[in-house]
Amino acid sequence: MKTRVSLVALALVVFLVPLAWTAIAAFGVVPDNSTRPPSWAGSFSLEHFAEVGVAEPTFWQELATSTASAACAALLTIAVAYPAAYVLARSRARAEAVLAPGFVVLASLPAMSYVIPLSDLTRRAHLIDTFAGIVLSEAAVTAPLAVYVLHGAFRQLSVEWEEAAVLDGAGLWHTLIRVILPLVAPSVVATGIVVFVIDWNLLLVPLVLTSGEIKTVPVAMSDFFTFERELNWPTAAAALVISLVPVAVLVGLFHRALQQFALQAAGRESSDE
Amino acid sequence: MRLSRRDRIVLIAPLIILLGGWLIGPALLGLLATFTTYSPFTTSFSFVGLDNYRAVLQDPQFGAAARNIALFVAAAVPLEIVVGFGIAYLLREPLRGRAALRVLLLLPWLISPIGSGVMWHFLLGPTTGILDFVLGRLGLPDVTSPLGDLRVALPVVVIVEVWRIAPFVAFLLLPGLASIPRERWDDARLSGASWLRQILDVAVPSIRPLLITVTMLVTGLALGSFDAELILTGGGPGSATLTPALYSYAAAFETNEWPAGAASAWLIAAAVLAVGILYIRLSAERDSG
Repeated sequence: MKTRVSLVALALVVFLVPLAWTAIAAFGVVPDNSTRPPSWAGSFSLEHFAEVGVAEPTFWQELATSTASAACAALLTIAVAYPAAYVLARSRARAEAVLAPGFVVLASLPAMSYVIPLSDLTRRAHLIDTFAGIVLSEAAVTAPLAVYVLHGAFRQLSVEWEEAAVLDGAGLWHTLIRVILPLVAPSVVATGIVVFVIDWNLLLVPLVLTSGEIKTVPVAMSDFFTFERELNWPTAAAALVISLVPVAVLVGLFHRALQQFALQAAGRESSDE
Repeated sequence: MRLSRRDRIVLIAPLIILLGGWLIGPALLGLLATFTTYSPFTTSFSFVGLDNYRAVLQDPQFGAAARNIALFVAAAVPLEIVVGFGIAYLLREPLRGRAALRVLLLLPWLISPIGSGVMWHFLLGPTTGILDFVLGRLGLPDVTSPLGDLRVALPVVVIVEVWRIAPFVAFLLLPGLASIPRERWDDARLSGASWLRQILDVAVPSIRPLLITVTMLVTGLALGSFDAELILTGGGPGSATLTPALYSYAAAFETNEWPAGAASAWLIAAAVLAVGILYIRLSAERDSG
């Protein structure tokens, strides 16, 4: 038990100290390694958060673009994956045994393996530099994972609920939305949040589908450095903190729902026929 | 519920359109294009068979990238799984504040790969970095940023990636480990099994399907590694941390060698699909057996 607590403490140090280092730098407290031994320099201030908007005048707009595109992509992902996952969960066992892991493989496919033709097609479809272009492409990145996770949630459900609803004369959509959705709502919310985080952090897809007219935060961050407009550390740290806040708040608010996030539903074997 | 053929088609149509238009379709058109001189910047193109692949495979830069990614996958994937498993194992039994710990330990994954690159660029840098600060406090001499060192740049990139991905692995494995019935642990403990035996005989077999699915996901991530290197090292020093994805991106979008970019991108896809076929066979075996 004692070892367990000290190991958890060690994990917290290893994984959180780099973030804490960044957070205090964002508030102006930075180390000075030129003195012997190194000392702390700077004093607490909020000005670096304002400097982000000076160094990158469109930063706040990019933050809005990122939030809106990730939110729309997550909603589209769930809307598209939900009915398809249901069909998959109610398919014949042999088809499902191949198709379900097939979605995991699609989810594992690196964006680099298809963004080159995707950028070309997007340009030809006049979707380059458009919000819709980003949302559709991001949703396509996350849909396979959502199908896989939601299909696991559907498999956990007893079919009796659906059969009872059908006997009562409920139609397909009514059953899917009014009867089944409340039963799997925690999984749907948890999946939506995980998908939002993934979409929020995507770089390659928004990068190749835009040419500067519209930008997400990760694309802007890659610009800071590739065009040698290198930021100073407190300003970069402030930008990092700001870009982490929306996802951290979301994850914090929904941490109970996230407990429900299971890549594979537990007790899978017993739910087989 | 019994789904009619028509119901099925209606329900999966949106997914087919989305994936067909924005993922599978582009990927397959891209595959066709790799056998030609196609580029969006030229008006005509011709069929060249496997020439693009031959050119890419003969390019020493791509050779370096392939070697780097092999090392990267071989080091990062097992480390991510072992560290992630370790964290999940520590949190498997209810512990005061487990819900909060679970969220806190997920924080590194919430940072974008590019953000993680920016962060570690500074943390490992000389003037305000954490590395020199700690060394200085211990009375040890400063080091130059390990990212500029030919031999340690790649291991450092691996460590940064493990720092970011292992928490996500833990998040994915925890529900599986927490759902193992108590009696199985108790039986193992009573029969005098060491903690290692308990892990190998109780934990691993119980969550094997979950474990191989998570391994598939992180292997795909590692094979396509791009964002992490872009800022941290830009593929350098020299080509010490160049990856196939960086190579492919540079060819298609920076030096206008579209066919080389598309062909090398498909080599990444081929590697992931090869692992994927193995994964599907493993999964299907379990379902039928």
